This record gives sequence, C-alpha cells and structure tokens, in this order.
Amino acid sequence: MTFNIIGSILPEVTIAIAICVVILINSLIRNVSVTFIHSVILFFLLFALFLSFVSLELPDSIIFNGHYVIDTFGTNLKIIALIAAILIHLASIKSKLNIKNEIFLIQLFATLGVLILCSAYNLLTIYLGLETLTLSMYGIVATNRNSIDATESAMKFFILGAIASAIFLYGVSIVYGVTSTLSLELIEESNLLDSLEMRIAVAFIACGIIFKFGAFPFHSWVPDSYQGSNTTAAIYISSVPKIGAFALIARLFMDALNVMSDFWSILILSAGLISIIIGNLIALMQINLRRMLAYSAIGHIGFVLLSFSIVNEGGISASLTYLLMYILMTISAFALIESISSEDRQHIELNDLRGLSNSHPLIAFMLLFCMFSMVGIPPFIGFYAKWIVLSELVNNGMIWYALVGVIMSVIAAYYYLRVIWFIYFEKSDQPIKNNGILNTHSITSVIVSVMLLLIGLYPNPIMDYTRVIISSFLLID
Amino acid sequence: MILDLMIWMPIISGFIILLIGKNYGSLTYWLSIFSSFLVFAVSLYALSIYDPTQVNIQFELIATWIDRFNINYHLGVDGISFPLILLTTFITPIVLLTSRTSEKSNLYQYLASFLILEGLMIGVFSALDAFLFYVFWEAMLIPMFIIIGIWGGKNRVYATIKFFLYTFLGSVFMLIAIIYLYIQTGSYSIFDFYNLDLSKTEQILIFLAFLFAFAVKIPMWPVHTWLPDAHVEAPTGGSVILAAILLKMGGYGLLRFSLPITPEASNELSIIMVVLSLIAIVYIGMVALSQTDMKKLIAYSSVAHMGFVTLGTFVVFLNHENASIDNMNMAISGAMIQMISHGLISGALFLCIGVMYDRIHSREISDYGGIALSMPRFAGLMVFFALANAALPGTSGFVGEVLVILASLKVNFWIALLSGTTLVIGAAYTLWMVKRVVFGKITNEKINDIQDVSAIELIPLMILAIMVLAMGLIPEPLMNLMYTSINNLSELVFLGAGL
Repeated sequence: MTFNIIGSILPEVTIAIAICVVILINSLIRNVSVTFIHSVILFFLLFALFLSFVSLELPDSIIFNGHYVIDTFGTNLKIIALIAAILIHLASIKSKLNIKNEIFLIQLFATLGVLILCSAYNLLTIYLGLETLTLSMYGIVATNRNSIDATESAMKFFILGAIASAIFLYGVSIVYGVTSTLSLELIEESNLLDSLEMRIAVAFIACGIIFKFGAFPFHSWVPDSYQGSNTTAAIYISSVPKIGAFALIARLFMDALNVMSDFWSILILSAGLISIIIGNLIALMQINLRRMLAYSAIGHIGFVLLSFSIVNEGGISASLTYLLMYILMTISAFALIESISSEDRQHIELNDLRGLSNSHPLIAFMLLFCMFSMVGIPPFIGFYAKWIVLSELVNNGMIWYALVGVIMSVIAAYYYLRVIWFIYFEKSDQPIKNNGILNTHSITSVIVSVMLLLIGLYPNPIMDYTRVIISSFLLID
Repeated sequence: MILDLMIWMPIISGFIILLIGKNYGSLTYWLSIFSSFLVFAVSLYALSIYDPTQVNIQFELIATWIDRFNINYHLGVDGISFPLILLTTFITPIVLLTSRTSEKSNLYQYLASFLILEGLMIGVFSALDAFLFYVFWEAMLIPMFIIIGIWGGKNRVYATIKFFLYTFLGSVFMLIAIIYLYIQTGSYSIFDFYNLDLSKTEQILIFLAFLFAFAVKIPMWPVHTWLPDAHVEAPTGGSVILAAILLKMGGYGLLRFSLPITPEASNELSIIMVVLSLIAIVYIGMVALSQTDMKKLIAYSSVAHMGFVTLGTFVVFLNHENASIDNMNMAISGAMIQMISHGLISGALFLCIGVMYDRIHSREISDYGGIALSMPRFAGLMVFFALANAALPGTSGFVGEVLVILASLKVNFWIALLSGTTLVIGAAYTLWMVKRVVFGKITNEKINDIQDVSAIELIPLMILAIMVLAMGLIPEPLMNLMYTSINNLSELVFLGAGL
C-alpha cells in the first residue's frame, strides 16, 4: 500500500531529488562544469518522464486523504510538461551565454509545481502547487540580476502575481465557507447551488487561473517579463506553466465546479475573446521580438480559453490540442531566437534580423516555418490548432466568435510576416555573426521547428492523443 | 499514383535543391528543369490515357488522412481540372528555363520556390477533399510570398504583404464555410457537399463565403487592387505564374465549389456576379488604357479578361426562359477556354516584358519606342501576343471570348453588347501599348545597343505562340476534353437550381 502510494508520485519525487542533487553539487563542488550540471538535470528529467510513462499503467486512485489524484489525465499532462521541460532544457544549453546555473535549478522547482498542479485534488494542494510554480517563475524572470530590466519586470510580476494569488485564495476561502470542504471531490458532490457567494468565489478563482494563463485582463505581466528577462527565461515561462494552468482550469472548473459552467464559461469566453483581440492588436506595434511574441502568446492563449468555454468534450480537447501546438511553436520560436542571440545581443529587435537569411540560412528557414505556423498556414501545425478550435466553435453554433477569431488571425498575420520580411527581404551591412558551430541548442531548435511541419503533415497522433486524455478525464465524472 | 507523382516530385526536388543548392549552384538549375520536364512528361502520359468520354473522376486516389474528422487524402481529375493541371505543368518548365536570363541572388532558392509552388498548384487542382484543397490552397501562399518578397522590384515588400493578407482574408471565410459544410455532412468530401440539401439562406451565406475567397483570387472588381501591385513588383517568373495559374484557381473554385454546392444561391445572386463581371470587363479595360507601366497594363487587362470567366460562369442564370443546358455548356466552355488561353497569352506577355526589362531595366512605356528596329524577331512575337490579347480571330483569346459573348447573347442582348466592347477596348489598350513600345522612332539611346532575343528566350515564346495559335485554330480537342464534365456540371446545377 505504502509502496503503491509512493509509486504513484515517483515523477514528482524524482524531480524533488533532482533539485536536492543540483543544490548539493552547486554548493559542494567548486567550479563545477556547466555540462555536468546539464547532464544531471537532463538525466533526472528523462527518468521522471520514464516513470510517468510507467505510472500510466497504474489504476486511477485518490491518495493522501483525497489531496492527490492519480489518473490518466493528470499523468498525461505530466508527460507533456516533462517533454516540454526536456526540450526547453536542451534548447537552453548554451555555455557561452552568461547564465547562472540557478536558472535551471529554479526551472526544476517550477516543473515540480506544474507536476503537483496536474494531480492536485484539494484546494490546498492546488494552492501549494500554484505557489511553488509562481514563486519559481518570479525567480526565473529575475535570474539576470544585474539587469535593471529583469529586476524591474520581476518586481512587477511579483506584485501582480501576489495580488492574483490573494484574490485566488479569497475565492478558495469563500468556497470553503459555502461548502465547508476543500476537497474537489466533495465540492463536486456537495449539491452546490448557483448562489451569489459561489459566483463571487468562482469569479475570484477565475482571476487566479486567467493570471496564470496570462490572458486579458491579467495579461500585463506577460510582455514585461518576456522582454525584461532573457530568452532562456522567456522560453520557460511561456510554455510549461500553461500546462499547469490548464490542469488547474480543468480540475477546478470542469470537474469540481461543473454545476456552475453557465457562469464561468461566460467569464472564460470573454477573457479568451478579448485576449485574442487585445493581444494581436498590440503585437502589431511591437519591434522587440520577445515583446511581440509575448503579445502573440496572449492571442494564442485567447484561442485556448475560447475553446475551453465551449464546455464539452470536443471544445476542451480542441483547447488542449491548441495548447500543445502553441507550446511546440513557442518553444521553436524562442529556441531559434536563442540560437542567434549572444551576450551583447540579448534584446533582439526586428532590425537585428536583417540579412539573417544569408548569415544563418538554416535558422532563417526554420524561423520561416515557425512564423507561418503561428499565422496558421497549412501544412504547419498552427493551422490545425486554429482549425480544430474553429470547427468546435462552428459545431456549437458560436459562428460569430469563430469569425472574430479568423479575422484576428488575418490581422495577426501582418506582424508574423514582418519577421519574415526582415529576415528575407532586407539586406544588412552588419549581419549577425555566425559562429558556425552546431551545438545542442541549435540542433534542438531545428528539430522542434521541423516537427512543426512533420506533425502538420500527419497530425493524427496528436489529435487522437488529446482526445483520449480529455475523454478519460470526462469519463470519471 | 500519377497525381501523387505530379504533386510530390516537384515538392521533393524543391526541398533537395534547397538542401544542396548552396554548394551546387548550376547543377540545381538543370535539376529543377529536369524535374519540371519530367512532371510535364508525366502529365502528357496522363493525357494519353485520360478518357474524355467518362463522367467519372479519373486517376482517383483515396487514403485516410485524419480519420477522426473523416478527412481523406483524396485526389482525382475530371475535364474541368485536368486542362488546368496541364497548363500548370506546361508553364512551370518555361518559367524555370527563363530564370537564368536575369541576375538573381540565391538562384537555387528561386528555383526551389517555383518547384514547390508547382506541386502545390497541381494539388489544388486535383484535391477532391475540401480540407486537402484548403491545405494546398493556403500553402501555396508561402512560396509566392517569398518569390515576390525576395526577388521583386523596389516596392516588393508592400506588394507581397498586400497580396498575402488579401488572399488570406478571403480564404479564412472559405474555411468557415467548409467547416460548416463538414458539420452538416460529416465528411470533407466535395462530392458529399454536392448532395447536401441546404436552405436558401444557408446557400447564400456559403456562396458569399466561398465567393470572397475566389473573388480575391480571380480577381474580381472591387477586390482586385492587390493584383497590379503584385504583378508590377513580382519578378518575371512570379508574374507569369501569378497570371497564368494562380488567377485560374478562383475560376476553378467557382466551378468546383460555388456552382454545384450552392446552385440556388448562384441562381439568386447571378445578377450581382454579372454586374461585377461587366464592371471588370468595361471599367477595368478603361483603366488599363490609362496605364503608363507595361506590367500594370497587362495586370489590368488580366482583370478584364478574367471578367469573362465569371461572366461565362453566371450569365446563363439571368434569363430563365432561355436557359438551357446547351447554353450553359457553351458559356462554361467559353469560361474554361478563356482561362487556359489567358494563362498562355498573359504568361507570354509577361515573359516579353521580362525580356525588355532585362535589357533596359524599365517598365515605363515612355522609356521605349522602336524596339522593332533593334529586336526584329522579338518584336514579331510581341505583336503576335498583343493581337492575341486583343482577341484576334485565329488566336485562342478569340475562342473563349466569343463563346461567352454568344452565350450572353441568348440571355440578354445588352449584356452581350457590353461584354463585346472588350474587343474594342482590349484592342485599344494592347495595340496602343505595342505601338508606343515596339514601333516608332527610337527615343531612348539604350535601345540602339540592345541585342535581339537569345535562343533560351526565344524558344519558350515560340512554343507559347504555337500553342496560342493551335488553340485558336483548332479548339476542338480541348473542348472535347472538357465537354463531358462540363455537361455533367451543367445538369447538376440545373437540377439544383430548379431551372
């Protein structure tokens, strides 16, 4: 019995051990080589991934007195989060860049938070996972402590995040007041009524979730922290935490508070719709690449939320599909930017991309893939993401929202095309120097970008996968 | 299998060229030419085994692609798509052959873009699954965007982004319509869409959604404004492909989607379509008269000529008393022949302008004059294509326009008369341009020193000229090739529209 319980949380345990090991190595061995740390972290991440695959075989169970749930949905989200973390790690291995080892350590903390969120089944555990994740994210943004921008954006992020956490916690306390339980299972069974108190609580909880997603109206931290920090930080905070946020919204809203779906779906719908509009419109005016990608991320997350607000199997699996494809695209984009940035060129602006097609033909070509994928042009995966969400919207009679979505995609196309324009159509007197060395991060970034095309040519597996995850999740109810 | 080969061979060789091009510059040129000729040979072989008397889809190929949404990799051709595929495989080698006549940076990327574009264009014409069609349709924007953007003229960035956004905006509405049709039928197969019973309101909305996509591509007035910009800025090869094939996709879409899926709406809204076509023919013809840039002039003349395609597609619905399947067949055949012939003639004219541009580096009519004195062989061909563009009897341009005008005459005299003015206006703008460019005294000193066309420039133009002449003198084979499918389409539409 005990072994079974430990057995079901082995991935989390592995990450926790990895954190301890890395701390020990960093403090005990002087002048430890960066490659060694990377290999250790990678080993543990891969091992955790392996253990998650193994725990797919385990029967669904609720452990730790109802605080933790082991089910196909949670385990699969963990697998996705770990794969994303591994890819990000591979893409960030760049010994030349002056990045302290701490960022990788804090990333492990954040990953642990996401894993906990995937399985948390009690509002307390959820809050625990959420705070582990959020606090690590402040740390990730602030890693570059000598930079004023990084410190400023981390400070802003911290203040906004603390307020969002407080609001979320207030919502949780109201739920406790009404239902006198914190367990999601009991909340679901407690014959809730759609009362005013509960509406207030749901609205507060929604604020916390929307903040984690980085969608309107709690999106203002996203551009600052993407731009202020470095690319290694941006690639992480733009991808893995969103999986945690998805677990959160699915468990809390779809599972526990399903009775109030009429109410929260309106909140999520309006947040999603306005995010699509705001994110894409503001991105049009950006010249800093990371800031532009931040606003584009707000737009993409808008699609995820819009699709989630359909509140049925099709809508939620479309939402997860979009999220997965978005994560792949954002990893690809940031990894490619990472491989052309250098110590003295941390703030990549559009102008810096001039002549990239001549100095870095491969990276330029991959950025072309990535940008067209983000526009939503087939056969890249970004198209399937948009299409599956549009299909579900039309299928559920929300054709007007679908129209807003497509029109905003056309507007968004402009700023993605502008990246290609600077890469391919402009010549430069001082192109970015190509060091010509193939290293782990550039190979990873190229592989991820090629995946954008390959999965696009045969998108069956990823679509079936998300559908299996979501239908297993909804079956439990 | 044949279609598979024709789609994927150029795409794969395009990617190979991209991979090896950096080190093997001149090899890639011959590789691209070899590959495009091979595709042309395959298409000729396909022509030899194609049975024009059959109504059914031929060379059909069906494989599951995304089973959860019932999406199939479904290819096949009929008498409507097959001529357009032949046009594609015929024009692409010509474009590739002439690609080395002017200086280009990274030539291998240019060649690869055209090869990938060719595969995607054949894909558009042969896809019988609406989803697959959309994938090819949109993917095609990528190489075209790159071609205009990298190798275009001064204002290329503006032109290519305008081109991309216009076509993208049009197609997203089509995507919504396709998704809606899927939800009604549970399948993405185009033929399942044909059998769908839609209410009148639904039909009109779907018709408009499709129309938006196709009207931008054709392009119809008033959404044609991207075309002059794109044509002027595109490199010669880009202009040729744009005029010869890309524009035909709009007309093809109308025949493949709009007419059979929404026949009632086509009937209902035909008056709008005919009015827009006439505006394109008459008004845009007038606009062409006032152009000072040769490429712009041909671009506007393209809009005017494509007006005949839309006119031929919709004119028969206007007069219910005289509507007959025969008349519909004639009008649609006219539209089809007009598409093919415009593909050849405008392609050739853009090649001619390219030849002059390579020498003088100007597209302004006023910079020319007296070309005939220094380039006699070239001048002869240019005059021939100009006459064909003005629909001189004996050239292919005449056949298409006359068929459409005859069909219109049975519908309404005034429509026929208005569309007939093109014979005057078309002759006016083309011949006036030829007069100012080819004949007269040499005013620009550079023209004294230029060489006549070289063999590599001459041969493609000669082949095109032979094709234009052959189609104009004996249009019978082409019409036979299309007849069964067009007749089938007309019957379907008449049944659907309740005529």
